[in-house]
Amino acid sequence: MISNTKEVKARDFEISRSAEEKRELLYKDDICIGCGICEKTCPVDAIELGSIGAIVRTDADVPKIVCDDDKCVLCGMCSVVCPVDALEFKIDDEDIKNMEEYPSLISSAEINDETCVYCKACETACPREAITIARNLPERSKLVTGEIEIDKETCIDCGICEEMCPADAITMEHKLPTSDDPTVSSDIIVDKDKCVYCLICKKSCPVDAIKAACRSCSYGEYDLNPEDAETTGASFIDQETCVNCGWCQEICPVDAATVVKPFEGELSVDQEKCQACGACVDICPCNVLSFPASSASGMRPEKVMSDENYCIYCGACENVCPVKAIEVKRTDIKHTPTKSKSWDKKMESLKT
Amino acid sequence: MCDYYTIIFKTCVLILVAIYILYVVKCVFNTHGVHMPKHIVSGLKYLTAVELIREGYSQKEVAEILEMDRSTVSHYLNGRNLSWNSIEIAEKITEFCPKDFLLLTYALMHEKARIIVKTCSNSEFEGIIKESCIGCGLCVDICLMKAIVLNDLKAQIDSDWCCGCLICGESCPTNSIEILEVKK
Amino acid sequence: MEMELKVNQDNCLGCGVCVVACPVNASISNEVAGGHGSKTTETIMMVENGFIKLFSPEKCTKCGTCQLFCPTDAIWLE
Repeated sequence: MISNTKEVKARDFEISRSAEEKRELLYKDDICIGCGICEKTCPVDAIELGSIGAIVRTDADVPKIVCDDDKCVLCGMCSVVCPVDALEFKIDDEDIKNMEEYPSLISSAEINDETCVYCKACETACPREAITIARNLPERSKLVTGEIEIDKETCIDCGICEEMCPADAITMEHKLPTSDDPTVSSDIIVDKDKCVYCLICKKSCPVDAIKAACRSCSYGEYDLNPEDAETTGASFIDQETCVNCGWCQEICPVDAATVVKPFEGELSVDQEKCQACGACVDICPCNVLSFPASSASGMRPEKVMSDENYCIYCGACENVCPVKAIEVKRTDIKHTPTKSKSWDKKMESLKT
Repeated sequence: MCDYYTIIFKTCVLILVAIYILYVVKCVFNTHGVHMPKHIVSGLKYLTAVELIREGYSQKEVAEILEMDRSTVSHYLNGRNLSWNSIEIAEKITEFCPKDFLLLTYALMHEKARIIVKTCSNSEFEGIIKESCIGCGLCVDICLMKAIVLNDLKAQIDSDWCCGCLICGESCPTNSIEILEVKK
Repeated sequence: MEMELKVNQDNCLGCGVCVVACPVNASISNEVAGGHGSKTTETIMMVENGFIKLFSPEKCTKCGTCQLFCPTDAIWLE
């Protein structure tokens, strides 16, 4: 008799069936956002969404969804509708996302390295920590040039220049004087890679032992090679953790990030019903919801605020709200076409 | 007193004789039991061979299809090497409802049952897949006749191989399979 | 896999923070949410004789707010 096998690893699971072909469903709990779209889509009611509010907020060691392997027929629908790749479905080791006959949600997040100035705003803003910006800063010594020389005969080893230098470019070898060498420093060194030729050392030296000149200041920028001033780097988006929320696109100062969201819709919060418990704020994978800063300590926060620019209309907040104050409507679903009527119908049924 | 003992003795002898008779009967039937599946298989193969010849296959082709010696096929077609009632039993089996016919034949011959059931089936069937099919492939995996494939996330039933057992329909999670009997 | 609301009176200080924090309680009775309501069994939980007691746990939506606020792990979901 044909039956499924289930393997459970911590909070993840794997359900498979091998006969004419090998079908596998893999669930990764750390990627799941608790939207429950899989539960609503499953044609055989095999998936059950857990008490995600409690699970996420109290860090309970319980999976966000459970799947009954006796009911699951391994059709793959849950994987296709999952907005965040928490459910992977493979037939004979090939992901159905790469198969033409299966529909798939259209979503993407990209950073154009041509335009990117590597300011790292997206890295900081990304609610899923999916973005890494690796940048190489220009060499400081190439951006400002000049000359500096310390007359060690005149120098009295006072250390004022060392303390004053804003670039930490001057180091003295302090020591105790001995009868053999009755000085307080054995040497004074200027690191010309660090020196910015600001001339503070020269101006503050009590004995005028420092001669320095800044070429950039006196002669403008004639010797500045524009390439030397450039910050180079690379951007990387972890597609597995990315939820295509649009934070990077909204925050990018040079429009280098482009995000395509799979759903369009509306998010509404009933301020009358909201009790400001914060469950939605904690569950939202996109940092759409927040409380305004509290006016005074001990005050209950104001009602919850939302910014739909970052909303993916997944509905996790609606699932978790204990007083049904949130409504998430999905008005459009972007997906690749399929010839199957039942699949097309399921995809359309994601609209609410 | 003496009569009393005689009655006990006679009863004991009767019981022993009864046990012996039961034992002999059991042995005889057991021997038949051991060979019975083989006889039925021979009968089914015979019926298949005759039908295939009627459909125009050569003896050589029939031997290949049934994975048998040519000489055995020849013997079969001449009515030899078959025990007295195996053809009769095999004929009865082909008249079972399609599911019983298939399950019994599959239990006897596994994969080879497909050609037997396909050839000896008395009816033809047509599978209609409704739009509600989700392409889960459960029917593909479950069909003993290997009559179903998936095409664009929809099952497709090959009428040539469908034996009308309805096992696919029983397992379909969306009740999307309808099997109709068509006149042969 | 539905979680269940549990209490342990041995840990409970009877502070009533959970009663006030619970958003479902607040939607049932504004006075309870304000911390000065009269005793009602309509709410999920109330402090009775100095200890927390569940009255209508079936109304709990498992949001975890009580557990977040409880200073002594006397109320939790599992």
